Amino acid sequence: MAKSETMVNIPTSRFTGLLRRYREFSLIARDPVLFMSLLFSGIFITVFVVVPLFRTISGGFFNAEGAFDLTYFGRYFDDYFGPGMRRAFFDTMTMGLLAATGGSLVGFIFAYALVRCRIPGQKVIHWLALLPTVSPPFALSLAMILLFGRNGVITRRVLGITYVQGMNDIYGMDGLVIVQTITFFSVSYLILRAMLERLNPAMEEAAASLGASRFHIFFTITLPLLIPGIAGSFLLLFVESLADLGNPLFIAGNRTVLSAQIFLAVIGEYDYQKASALSLVLIIPTLVIFLVQRYYVNRRAYISVTGKPSGSQVVEKSPVIRWGFNIVAYLICGFIIMLYATIIYGSFSSAWGVDFTPTLRHWQMTVTRGVEAILDTTFLSALATPFAAILGMVVAWLVVRKNFSGKEVLDFTSNLGGAVPGTILGIGFVMTFNKPSIALAIGVYGLLALFFAQVVGKNARERLIILALATAAGVGLAQVPSITIYTVIGLLYFVLAGILAGTKQGRTRVIIAAVIGIYVMSNNWAGAITAPIATLSRSMERGFWSNAIFQLSDHIKVLIQPPPSLLAIALVFAGILLTLGIRHRGLRVGSGVIALLIPCTLSFMEVPFSLVGGAYIILAAYMVRSLPASVRAGVASLQQIDPSIEEASNILGADAQYTFRKVTLPLILPALLSGLIFSFTRHMTSLSAIIFLVSARWRIVAASILSEWEQGGVSIASAYSTVIIILVLAAIGILSLVTNRVFRGRGGVDLSIGL
Amino acid sequence: MYLSLKNISKIFPPRGGVSEVTAVNEVSLEIERGELVTLLGPSGCGKTTTLRMIAGFEFPTTGQIILDGVEINEQPPHKREMSMVFQSYAIFPHLNVNENIAYGLNVRHLPRPEITERVNRVLDLVHLDGYGDRAPNQLSGGQQQRVALARALVMEPKVLLMDEPLSNLDAKLREEMRTEIRRIQKTLNITSVYVTHDQIEAMTLSDKIVVMNEGIIEQIGTPTEIYQYPKSRFVAGFIGRANFIGGKVLNQNHNQMTAEIFGQVITLSGLQNTFSPGQRITLIVRPEMIDIYKSGGGFPGIIRRAVYLGNVIEYEVEIGGELVTAAETDPTKMVLYPEGETVTVNFSETTIQVLPANG
Ligand SMILES: Nc1ncnc2c1ncn2[C@@H]1O[C@H](COP(=O)(O)OP(=O)(O)OP(=O)(O)O)[C@@H](O)[C@H]1O
Ligand SMILES: [Mg+2]
Repeated sequence: MAKSETMVNIPTSRFTGLLRRYREFSLIARDPVLFMSLLFSGIFITVFVVVPLFRTISGGFFNAEGAFDLTYFGRYFDDYFGPGMRRAFFDTMTMGLLAATGGSLVGFIFAYALVRCRIPGQKVIHWLALLPTVSPPFALSLAMILLFGRNGVITRRVLGITYVQGMNDIYGMDGLVIVQTITFFSVSYLILRAMLERLNPAMEEAAASLGASRFHIFFTITLPLLIPGIAGSFLLLFVESLADLGNPLFIAGNRTVLSAQIFLAVIGEYDYQKASALSLVLIIPTLVIFLVQRYYVNRRAYISVTGKPSGSQVVEKSPVIRWGFNIVAYLICGFIIMLYATIIYGSFSSAWGVDFTPTLRHWQMTVTRGVEAILDTTFLSALATPFAAILGMVVAWLVVRKNFSGKEVLDFTSNLGGAVPGTILGIGFVMTFNKPSIALAIGVYGLLALFFAQVVGKNARERLIILALATAAGVGLAQVPSITIYTVIGLLYFVLAGILAGTKQGRTRVIIAAVIGIYVMSNNWAGAITAPIATLSRSMERGFWSNAIFQLSDHIKVLIQPPPSLLAIALVFAGILLTLGIRHRGLRVGSGVIALLIPCTLSFMEVPFSLVGGAYIILAAYMVRSLPASVRAGVASLQQIDPSIEEASNILGADAQYTFRKVTLPLILPALLSGLIFSFTRHMTSLSAIIFLVSARWRIVAASILSEWEQGGVSIASAYSTVIIILVLAAIGILSLVTNRVFRGRGGVDLSIGL
Repeated sequence: MYLSLKNISKIFPPRGGVSEVTAVNEVSLEIERGELVTLLGPSGCGKTTTLRMIAGFEFPTTGQIILDGVEINEQPPHKREMSMVFQSYAIFPHLNVNENIAYGLNVRHLPRPEITERVNRVLDLVHLDGYGDRAPNQLSGGQQQRVALARALVMEPKVLLMDEPLSNLDAKLREEMRTEIRRIQKTLNITSVYVTHDQIEAMTLSDKIVVMNEGIIEQIGTPTEIYQYPKSRFVAGFIGRANFIGGKVLNQNHNQMTAEIFGQVITLSGLQNTFSPGQRITLIVRPEMIDIYKSGGGFPGIIRRAVYLGNVIEYEVEIGGELVTAAETDPTKMVLYPEGETVTVNFSETTIQVLPANG
């Protein structure tokens, strides 16, 4: 039978391509869970990553009046500002190059010592190498200054060096590079360690059997195979170093680098145009490297090193080399221990550099005056953690398992928020959410409403009715200035619950509607709920407990008073759950209108998305920062699960949501827990992304450390740092314990997964 | 018809540098209730894609899928009430055997006692009673395969889909499971679609075989039809072995034909197609249809290779400059002609299939 007879030419014009897109869209719409996850992650990433970054990047080109203006870029080329600007730029690059070189080198020494040199005390060395990843941003600079600064224990007490202006102090490029090397080498260590472990020893053995010398083998076999890893870690460290804000602020001395320039432009001059222009200069190398990493290095790394860690490892035979590596690693470990010991002791010493007698004075200050910042940081970090980890898993699931147009974009942008320097994101947040344009609210609501109508309505007419009625009523209601609006909305949910109950739509829906009603209403009662707590705190003697209890009332308010524009997003999804699949037509349309009207009202109340100064903008910044790591953890674990396992569940009658709960989730739980730990750590220790977002009501420990230090309170700064380290370690300990319980030893949590 | 595919095509859109792939091209297929139909074809011919469209995991680019009179194109997999046995088994690693099998019943919220009862019955059916509490990693490959089958069967699906369910098993177990699957399928009278690229599996299992190649259906028929009356060179070559001998039509009278091959005239009967005189044709001759004699009437040939395989002797015979494979299976004639021997060759003319020369 000739093939040409049966082969029917299927037209593949542009039109059918579009048609297929539409078919794809309506297919996705038929799977509400998929659609919801897609839409939710899409909206989150657009609102909190894409828009802010766009604002930062474009902000440098427009002055306060909105006119096109290149002043700040021009400054690089004029004679007055030019030399200083250019010097800062070259200093930034020098810092990045040196720190990346140093960090990769130290990382390699640790990796080699641990994998090939059988260094005694493997476990301890491993954890010490990871310790810098859990420390607050300034901690190591602070320790360096305490040790080697103008009043440093070692420089002044031990060595008796007296400070000479501009000659011999730790401030400047040298100190900065040392601190950054120690701060960032952990990443390099993990990458290179993984690579070394995966190197197939057979290759080196084969070379040895051919009579090659050890050096020859190292330089012709081992090193070339490690090149992708070394290049990867170098680039990563370079970016981290450029993005670093904490250390340059502390220890750069009379040198300025871009991140600090940006910080000063915002904090010192309130000049967002300048900050944006500088951000663009900083983001270009970062983005280039991010792209190179993503599309070149990662691919190369995949090709040259394949397979699982091989069981047997080559052990370094020459004792000179072996102990050379081991001793250097021990020395660096000693240094790390010394730095941390200094921070801890610094918090107890009466007056560092002058009087080292231990005292609890600083701690008393820290836990009374500082309790607000500590509790706020912990509360916000913890609150953002599950959301970040879950969002990460959802994005990973979409990226690994689902096929849809724009997947590449989702993958890329979800990583972007964590990859760009935090300062840039922070500026974007302020610019976007300070006086937000109504277009943002319209865009978000429009998308959600279309989605809602598409899923709930059964045909074009129903969809149109739902959209038109709900939007009209919602926008109208939003114009009525009323302090009791939440009570009204809550009552609407009760009405909905009543309707659902009256028409027997299932008990779950009724309960959900009622619970949402109560929750929304409680927004108006927040004062009533929290007032007694606040009163209680005032009645107590001023101190830790009174402050802590007062904070509690604030935290409760955060939980029950989300910004209306964010609440609206959540309520659209809740509305779908409530009205999806109602059989009766009138009922479906009616409850659809109510369920959409409410989010519509909330979307356009007050000034939508004006989040600056509140807690939620900090939460969002945290989530954006830790999202990439959770996504990566999720992707790694999903890729190991045979996709037909999910399909098996699907064809056995389970929908996407049931499948995710009963099959996917249990299988990715270890990754989820790693994501939780990593996210929490990242939140607790982040500085650059949120430094511009803190307000009088919401303080962050990192900001407190900075201000204490500026006022000379090094001991209190040390105490704050210690608190963060302890809290993070405690969280890691608790979660590890939980996972060890849950998994009874099989497949524990891999801390390195997010790095 | 219980399950019909009407002009189903699947075109995967271009993605990531790979251009558009037409995996399935205008496939039409009818399956009756209780039938076991096999999709058979070489790797990459679109079997899995077809199966996945029936399951609902892939959405057909064109065409209709009709189950029991209802178009189900747009139904998601979980609404189709089908079951599938995956090549990788896809057993839930975090659930034990009982929980695995009960999974679908739990989704349906059946009462506990009924679930237990049905699980036990199906465990019995696949000879796995007593294994209910095992974790999947404590099972052998064959046992895992049976769990996968049990999990699908317990749902009493409208259609049971199997994608190369035996390909991960060793030869002996495969043979055993083959008969087992057929037995269970017959007992429960489940409409089934079975994907394989193993022709023996297809021959032993199927009511009907669908031979696919490069996304199109080459032939649909019972195992006997497919073997005896292949409609294309591809089918003849894929199912069993065949010699393709070129010839020319002299004359055709209904299902009788005289044709010229190797310069001699030969009479063929039982033809299914009509040809015009002078047309070039291809004769499909199975090795076992060829008889070799020391002398007598027939085509003169020379033995070029002879292999003694115990129950068969295989020859390569040169006739008119062409090499033809012959298999001697008649034990009474088990004489081994040495290589280089001149012989005469006869075809059992009634069973020869004739195709147009380009077919
Ligand atoms: N998701 C996909 N995207 C693009 N092309 C695909 C996809 N799935 C399958 N194909 C292509 O479609 C064709 C048919 O694939 P299919 O898996 O159906 O083959 P098969 O007959 O099951 O082969 P095998 O016996 O190897 O399993 C192949 O060329 C394959 O590369
Ligand atoms: Mg296949």
